[in-house]
Parts: sequence; C-alpha cells; structure tokens
Amino acid sequence: MNGLKQENHEVVLSVNKVTKKIGKHVIVDQLSFDMRQGEVVGLLGPNGAGKTTTIRMIVGLIGMTEGDVLVKGQSIRSNFAEAISHIGGIIENPEFYPYMTGYDNLKQYQRMTKGITEERIKAVTKLVGLEEAMNKKVKAYSLGMRQRLGIAQALLHEPSILILDEPTNGLDPAGIREMRDYLKQIASQEGIAILVSSHLLSEMEQMCSRVVVIQEGKLVTMRSLSMPVDAAEKVNVTFRVDDALRAKERLERMEEIQVLDCVLELNEVRVAVRDSYIPRVVNALGTEGIAIYRIQENRESLEDEFLKWTEGNRIA
Amino acid sequence: MRSFGNLVINEWLKLSKKRSFFIPYAVLIAFVGLFGYLAKVYESTGGMGSEGEFVSTLDFIHNVMSHSGMGQFITFLAIIASAGIVTKEYSLGTIKLLLIRSQSRNKILASKYVTAVLYTLSLFLCTGIVAMITGGIAFGFGGAEIGWNDVFTGALYSLIYTLVYVTITFMVGVLTKSTGATIGVGMFIVLLEGLVTMLLSKYAVVKYIIFTNADLSVYSNGGAPFKGMTMNFSLIVIAVYMVLFLGASFVTFKKRDVA
Repeated sequence: MNGLKQENHEVVLSVNKVTKKIGKHVIVDQLSFDMRQGEVVGLLGPNGAGKTTTIRMIVGLIGMTEGDVLVKGQSIRSNFAEAISHIGGIIENPEFYPYMTGYDNLKQYQRMTKGITEERIKAVTKLVGLEEAMNKKVKAYSLGMRQRLGIAQALLHEPSILILDEPTNGLDPAGIREMRDYLKQIASQEGIAILVSSHLLSEMEQMCSRVVVIQEGKLVTMRSLSMPVDAAEKVNVTFRVDDALRAKERLERMEEIQVLDCVLELNEVRVAVRDSYIPRVVNALGTEGIAIYRIQENRESLEDEFLKWTEGNRIA
Repeated sequence: MRSFGNLVINEWLKLSKKRSFFIPYAVLIAFVGLFGYLAKVYESTGGMGSEGEFVSTLDFIHNVMSHSGMGQFITFLAIIASAGIVTKEYSLGTIKLLLIRSQSRNKILASKYVTAVLYTLSLFLCTGIVAMITGGIAFGFGGAEIGWNDVFTGALYSLIYTLVYVTITFMVGVLTKSTGATIGVGMFIVLLEGLVTMLLSKYAVVKYIIFTNADLSVYSNGGAPFKGMTMNFSLIVIAVYMVLFLGASFVTFKKRDVA
C-alpha cells in the first residue's frame, strides 16, 4: 500500500491511533499513517470527514483525546516545543498582522525561533518571489501574495515537514497553479515532506505522490498515485483500429483477454488485459493485418476512485 | 530568558506598530495640560487659595495621578489596550500561526500579560512626566505640603488599582476571545464597582470582594472602607484574586482547541 520507492526513506511524521472526541461525538477515530522524507501526501475526504481536525491535531492547535503524533520521534503531546520545531504550517488562509509590513511579519516569527538569520529571511522571500513587496503593509497584499508570505513563514525555520490545510482555498486558477509549482519545487529542492489537505481532487492528483483518504474520521484507504503497475494486475486498455469488429473477434480468441466493450462507430475495442500481455496483443493484431492507430490506458481518475471509496452519495 | 524577551518585544511591536498607538498618550498629555491650565487660571482668579490645592507641582502631580484625578481614566485606556492583546489574535486569525511555533502556550500568554503590564506602566510614566512638566511651568517647585514619597505612594496605589482591572480584562479576553465584549465587560466592571460595593455593604462578604480592596488609597488617611479591613488584608485579597484571574486565563489558554 505504501509508496514502494519511498520505503527506504526515514519516517518523519507518524500519526499514531489519533482520536478526537468532543462529548460523545467521535470526529477522528483511531487514525494512523506515516510520512517519509520528500513525500507529498494528500489528505482527502468529503466535507466534515475530519481533515482539518486531523491537521490541527498534528500541529498541536487541537488537543487529541487518544493517540499521539511523533515528529522525528518527538511527541507533539509531551514534547511540543521540540516536535513543532520540525514543522512548518499554513492553516487555511495564512493570516498576518495587516498593519505591519511583510518583513515585520516575518521578523515576528524569526524572533520566536532560535537561529533564524537575516540571510534566511532573504532566502525565503526570494524563493517565494516577494522581494519587491517586503516593505509594503500586508493589508495591501493580494490573496496570492499572502499565500506566498504564508509559505515563506512556514519555511523560515527550515522544517522537515510542511503541513498545509486547504492551501488553495480561495485562489484563482493561476494562483492554484503557482502554489502547486512552489510546493513541488520545495519538495524536490529542500527535500521536505509535505502533507496537504484539500478537496480539489485534480489538484491533489497532480501534486501528491500518495493519498490518505478518510471519511467520518476513519481511514478509508491509503494509496500511492505514482505506483508502478503490478505485472500481474489487469489494466484497462482501449485500442483504436481500422476494423473494430475483426479486432474484437481476434482478441476474443485469445486467452487471458477480456473484451469489455466494442464501439464500432469509433473503431475502438476496450479490453482488460495483464500489463505484460500487451505486446502479444499488439503482435496478434499485427499478424492479422489489423492496423492500430492508438493504444490508450483507461485510468480511473482520482475523482472516480474517490467517489467509489467514499460511496459517492455521502458527499456533502 | 532571551527567547521570552523576544516574545515580549513581539507583543510590544504588535501594539506599537498600529497607527492608533499614540492616541492614548496624546489624549493623556492633552488632558493633563488642560487640567494644569484650568487649575492655574482658577488659582489666579483666587478661587482656590483658601483650600490650599495645587499650590505646588507635587500637589498637582499627586492629584493628577490619584484615583479621582486621571487615575480612572488611565484605567480605561489600559483596559482598551489590554482587551485586544489576546482577542485580536483570534479576530485576525493570527493565533494559528502564533501557536505553531516552538514556544509553549504558557510562555506566549505570559509574554502577552507582561506586555499589558508594561503598557499600563508606560501610561502612568507618561502621565507622571507630563504632570511634572505642566506643574513645573504652572506652579513652580516650592511650598509643597506633601513630599515625593506621597506622590510615589499615591501613584503606586493608582497603578495597583489599574493592574487589577487590566488583569480582569485580560482574563475576560482569554475567556471570550472577543475584543468588543472584553472592552465592554472591563469598563462595565469599573463602573459597577461602586454599585456592587453599596449593595453588598450590609453583608460581611463585602470585605472579600475585589472591588472593595482594589483602591488602596482609602487607607492613606488612616481610615478603612469597612470594619476589620487593613492595608495588609487588602494586599492579600488582591494577591489571591490576581492568582485566580491569571490561573483561569492560563489554564483556559493552554487547554483551548484552536478551531
């Protein structure tokens, strides 16, 4: 289930049977997952699934009823100051003191953590491209600029984990794309693990290497998005050929191939076949004299899978 | 310790970077100046000589700093400023970024309280200095009936009185998270103190109420507001209340979920 190639990296964040109850209401129920260095993990779930509560428990804004979160082995419950020093966070839209300049705001956070140099402030403002705006008051910033200042404050103390709660909320498409690019750049350049919660599935698909899906506070599934195809697993492939009917007849004669669909108007045949078997299919069609125009894998989008996992109708 | 100092610097900057920061000081200066001017005019028209008030700078400072002079006004200004010190973090949403730093919540709240106290001190200092300058110009430095010692004690009593209300306001701020409600409650309590004292004056419990004890200047003429009350008694009552108020603030702030 875990990302295969990540397995040899160090676990930086470990969420351990975390539970949050308010009165009798269970908001998050025995949730566990790990994050490794350099990974971008998406936390998915319908509205009210407990994403925000989970994220706020990880950063210590909300206390947990049971369980613990370990950040590089340090407990967020019993050793908060040490554990949180490895985390940089943007919780919803980052809010700053509007009557201060961007620089003054960053200085506030610099004074709160030991060992942040003036050079580091310069470096992060350069990374997010805010050098020009540092001496402007934050109330004059656009949402996109505030979002960038949010990233800057989160990276200031060189954390190993970046935690973002709905980071693209309220951003326009250009802003979302910009945000995504920054996050990707940060993950690869600084080698830090990123945990993002969002309900924008296509965004998550483009950004994350792994998703953790929760519903009603419980873990539904965890899966890697960049997982290499298992040779034994059947894939769903569409062939576009010059004669769909002949192709269908030929393929039906082959073992291990399941013809799912045949659309004559489009000259397409859809089959389920093992990954390792595809060259043989191509070969068979070729020797039969059937011309192949396209071979396309039909992957379910994350959205389809998400709806399946969370049983669609329950989405608020 | 250095990191705590940095937290206090942060809090002070959050107050002082606001454009409205200088207004309370300006108002204080204007009022004290006006006070001095009126007293001078009144004195020179001969209306006051018989009562012997404001014959010197020291008397003037003493009167300005007293509870009945500018004292209560300073209390209001201090309440307004300390009401926002915790609640503004919630209304701006900055509390989220503030509490995910490598600092304990206790330290963060302590730095805020220390800043509220420092701010109150700065108001008193400003008033004292302006009163001295105004008094010096208007009355000169001779023929005082009281000494510097009385001036300082009087100012100290006013300061203690103000700090009691600043602490109450601070607690209400932590509990309600709303700036408006906190200022309202803080002011209301100051105005209510006389009424509550009066209503409860028949009962023995009145001795143990914070309102009856907050103003220590009542003892300076050897009197006592109610039978059995002494300066030491009041100091202990004030201390107990302060511990309770701060205890409630810290426990609440530490436990609270920031949703």
